[in-house]
Amino acid sequence: MSTSPRLSRAVEPVLRYFLYAFLSVVFLLPFVWMVLGSVREESEIHGLMFPFTLHTIWPVNWTLKSYLDIYGISAEGQAGGLMFQVGLRNSAIIAVAVVSCSLVFNTMAAYFFARLPFPGKKYLFAYVVATFLLPFEVTVVPLYLVVNQLDLQNTLWALIVPFYSSPFIVFMLTQFLGGIPKELDEAATVDGANYWQILWRVIFPNALPALTTAALIEFQFIWNLFYWPLIAVSKLDLQVIQVMIASQTTDRQIYWGRTFAGLVSAVVPVVVLFLFCQRFYFRGAVLSGMK
Amino acid sequence: MSAVPAVGRRSGARVLTLQRRRYLIAFLFVLPALVNFAIFRYIPIVMAARASLYDYSLLGGFGDFVGLKNYLRAFDDDLFWTSLKVSVEFVLMKVPAQIVFSLLLALFVSRELRGMGFVRTVIFIPVVTSIVAAAVLWGMMYNKDQGLIQSLLGIFGVPHTAFISNPTLALPAIVVMMVWKEVGFSTIIFVAGLKNIPQMFYEAAAIDGAGRVRQFFAITLPLLRPVTLFVVVTQTISAFQVFVPVYVMTQGGPAFATNALVYYIYQNGFQYNDMGFATAMSFVGLVILVLMSIGQFRLLRGDVEY
Repeated sequence: MSTSPRLSRAVEPVLRYFLYAFLSVVFLLPFVWMVLGSVREESEIHGLMFPFTLHTIWPVNWTLKSYLDIYGISAEGQAGGLMFQVGLRNSAIIAVAVVSCSLVFNTMAAYFFARLPFPGKKYLFAYVVATFLLPFEVTVVPLYLVVNQLDLQNTLWALIVPFYSSPFIVFMLTQFLGGIPKELDEAATVDGANYWQILWRVIFPNALPALTTAALIEFQFIWNLFYWPLIAVSKLDLQVIQVMIASQTTDRQIYWGRTFAGLVSAVVPVVVLFLFCQRFYFRGAVLSGMK
Repeated sequence: MSAVPAVGRRSGARVLTLQRRRYLIAFLFVLPALVNFAIFRYIPIVMAARASLYDYSLLGGFGDFVGLKNYLRAFDDDLFWTSLKVSVEFVLMKVPAQIVFSLLLALFVSRELRGMGFVRTVIFIPVVTSIVAAAVLWGMMYNKDQGLIQSLLGIFGVPHTAFISNPTLALPAIVVMMVWKEVGFSTIIFVAGLKNIPQMFYEAAAIDGAGRVRQFFAITLPLLRPVTLFVVVTQTISAFQVFVPVYVMTQGGPAFATNALVYYIYQNGFQYNDMGFATAMSFVGLVILVLMSIGQFRLLRGDVEY
């Protein structure tokens, strides 16, 4: 700004659009390569890799073969025992269960912390917040010991029950519910509503933006979870999609088209949700930055 | 809350039971969450502490009491020290790189110009993608014979290079992948931080003749200190626990160059069935991380300015 304003005004947009293009390539090219790689012939992926041309990325012959393989529809897929549809189904069951439980139990807990009278409430809140100090990955082995004692290992319950409530979501919702005017509860109390009715008839509708953010954060967390399902469940027909895509590549790296198709299947649900509900995701990121 | 005790002693007994009832009902709202955190957050730590003192196996449960043997074994184990070193190296490479890049990106995308919304979307897509998917994809891109990166480097005449199968480049290659995946997240946090800085500071500085660079170092950076500290804290804690990319891309190799702590714990617990040893190492990792977060939370707390 201090140099020549006129020159920088002319150069700036050019520079800016160059940066747009550069960032798009860096962040999107891997995804473009993945998506297009999933709809072309296996031999093309390898045959046209060198030297780099448009067709390194862009298919010559389009085909859905890789998808037919991983969903066990084609004969080769069945012969290979591929069943990604089972992984998608398991992930979907777990995600729906965890997100619904989380909406009920976390909202109830947040309602308690934000609105209800109770002696020593702040100590209970400290008990919740102190879990932030407990790192997740390092404590996965200890968590397995508990789940093993409860005899839940190798069931879908092992992937649901530990996550029916989340300290972070409770914390986030408590902050938000605290901001809803208290007059609303008081009016409902005068009308004879009890805590339960106030929560679902008064608080819930007023907290929808925060609850949407919470549901999306929770969905992304549980859909993308890998380490825990990897060890908690070893039966093939209980595997989640994220574990399937990893075992596919480590065992049979030769079929890149199938790997791409698996990756697309695992990534599309979260990315599509993100593209449609962006502002909730950004708000979620910022909220997590405020804790 | 305090209105009820003021009613007085005469109807005391009745009020008390009524109030107790209200407390009890209120408590039922929070009970499921509290039970969850007890069983799945706190009790695992207690069990791990106990299991680490025993010859513990998944099938046999608690065997002989062995005292601190598992811990002494860990401290005597070169690979355990290697794993701590690898995790620390990963933190030291990834966190500064991510902070610098996300700060630069935030300065760029926080300006409300045409097209910035698109850029914010683009850099956030890897954030919502699972780490496994990112790791598998990048593993293929790095592949020495068939990787897309080899093909792109070929444009500039660079010969095929081993990345994840090369002991010196493997860990940096994972760092690059993880920064790519997570830089968008810290960028969005920095953007929020930047928007919280009152515009009048910049106007005043401009009147005093301070250029953009000067403004950045005199205003932006100091006022972003709390946000920066927060990002450093959370990123350090999560980077120290790196597991998935190691599991997917390198399996701790080559020559233990990427043998990170959590991966080593996983191997001992679930591949070698050495649960006592694995829990002892988990416990050491846990203590390191808890001390680190307590220290850093202290640092953060004395830091709210403006």
